[in-house]
Amino acid sequence: METLSYLGQGFGVALSPYNLFTALCGTLIGTVVGLLPGLGPINGVALLIPIAFALGLPPESALILLAAVYLGCEYGGRISSILLNIPGEASAVMTTLDGYPLARQGKGGIALSISAWSSFVGGLMATCGVVIFAPLLAKWAVAFGPAEYFVLMVFAIVCLAGMAGNKPMKTAIAACIGLFLSCVGIDSNSGVYRFTFGSLGLADGIQFVVLVLGLFSVSEILVLLERTHHGQKAIEAKGRMLFSLKEGASVLATNLRSGAVGFVLGILPGAGATLASAVAYMSEKRLAHKDNKFGDGDLRGLAAPETANSASACGSMVPMLTLGVPGSGTTAVMLGALTLYNITPGPLLFQNQPEIVWGLIASLFVANLMLILMNVPMIKIFTKILAVPYWALVPAIAIITSIGVYAVHATTFDLFLMIAIGIVGYILRKMDFPLSAILLGFILGGLMEQNLRRALSISNGELGILFASPITWGVWTLIAAMIALPIWRAWRARRQRLAQPVSV
Amino acid sequence: MYQRLFGLVLLLACAGLGIVAWGYHAPFSYEPVGPRAYPLLLLVLMGLGAIYLLAKPASATAHADEPPMDRHVLRKVIGCVVILMVYAALFERLGFIAASILFGVAMARLYGGTWLASAASGLMLAVGLYLLFDKALDVPLPLGILSALEN
Repeated sequence: METLSYLGQGFGVALSPYNLFTALCGTLIGTVVGLLPGLGPINGVALLIPIAFALGLPPESALILLAAVYLGCEYGGRISSILLNIPGEASAVMTTLDGYPLARQGKGGIALSISAWSSFVGGLMATCGVVIFAPLLAKWAVAFGPAEYFVLMVFAIVCLAGMAGNKPMKTAIAACIGLFLSCVGIDSNSGVYRFTFGSLGLADGIQFVVLVLGLFSVSEILVLLERTHHGQKAIEAKGRMLFSLKEGASVLATNLRSGAVGFVLGILPGAGATLASAVAYMSEKRLAHKDNKFGDGDLRGLAAPETANSASACGSMVPMLTLGVPGSGTTAVMLGALTLYNITPGPLLFQNQPEIVWGLIASLFVANLMLILMNVPMIKIFTKILAVPYWALVPAIAIITSIGVYAVHATTFDLFLMIAIGIVGYILRKMDFPLSAILLGFILGGLMEQNLRRALSISNGELGILFASPITWGVWTLIAAMIALPIWRAWRARRQRLAQPVSV
Repeated sequence: MYQRLFGLVLLLACAGLGIVAWGYHAPFSYEPVGPRAYPLLLLVLMGLGAIYLLAKPASATAHADEPPMDRHVLRKVIGCVVILMVYAALFERLGFIAASILFGVAMARLYGGTWLASAASGLMLAVGLYLLFDKALDVPLPLGILSALEN
């Protein structure tokens, strides 16, 4: 009951004309950013932070803007996947598997509308999940002390590596690099300058906008050099634009199942949309063993990853809001934006600033509704944007990125730092290291060190405090399970490989 | 091969940074953990990871997400980095508009635009983005050599 009254209060915030307009701008920008090649939600959100700051948006509006951009990107990503067979980001890879064949069969309009519907259902389910679970988790999380937080963050990092699929070790190294980068700059507890090498620009640490744009924008610009082409011809979406009731009904069960999967995986730190869409697709494929057209344009194969995708995008807001531990690269950026406003996300946010939390949650509903209303009629305009050639697009991205970085501190040192980070990011990407792990590590790093030092101050240096409460025991158990998971997976893969030659 | 090289570089970097971190010492300390313990812990973890890369690099058959490099692409990448560096250096000296025109034209050429199209897009981007960000969105940008025009 209490939740409902808070939610009503949240709608009061989200439905004010100013915030409605903010959400509308956010969803539009997000959709465009999501469908452009080389720009994902992480860049989109990071680029808007300096602008939101410069415009003097109040924190709740800024957060609504960023969340709307995030959801919009997840919507936009599917357009290039379906019509071009180019996933705008990793989480849209699964969408291409059935979406592109559908478009080639002349069912592009149906594919686009059913995927928009699926995104809507997933987002709606997950937002309801946020409404139910976030306050519960927040109430429980108030009992967390610094030791519990530290262990929880260790879990987030380990989870990131354990869930990363085929390269847990590289993900772990990337996360460590991120954690280490957060140490650069003046140490707030002792005033010691760490790893600044006498540079004044580094004295206050690496600005996270610089890191994000370097890692994602600059490295992406370099990657795009390999695929220089003059804009790809998109398959035209013609014929029926709306799916029929029968088609809608045939994917409803898939929607519901995938939405639940997406939400749960979205809550887990580090897992995120990429894993959620893959898991949802695979399990639907397994469930539909008869009359299975997966891979050649099955509507269920399109609905599953799309639903899971947007469900996990909303689900990842839960750990960010309640614990202050981001669940995905994009929520990590949003967390960074909040700290720019001197707001510390966590359980106390629900008590002290409910208008921010509930305004954000209510705006998730609003943004979802806007996206589906906007996407169906405006699809023709969005597909036009896909035809923009790289020589016009990339310089624009590069200049806007530079403005975003310059706006933080107004020094060119940050521009050079961004380029350096971008080069390193490009190399790491070429070596197959996941860059979002660096970002998550960077955001968590500072919090982790503070909590560790606070915990050890309480216990006077005794490490036992990290193992002293039932909560820490529970989390340590989860950590052990997460470390065991990739080892077990590698062991199973090896056994299968050994068994292979016998059967052939 | 590259994996091993990277592992070696990472290990050396960890060792070097570790030596630097060893000297961090708080003159007055009110807490049991000083400023050097946490970075050292991370450097040790990273070093262990680097040793793992050195000892057991991914097999050649492992699937890589990115296509392999060739000389042609490498030349373009270096060119792009140089253009970015020059842009950063000129950003305040020439001011946003002038630097962005040069940068926009160079980048558009690099990504395969014709001279005419590159010049047009560079000019439009520089002026358009200046008006959008500096005038409409209140993000201050340096005017540089054009600052005389404003007064």
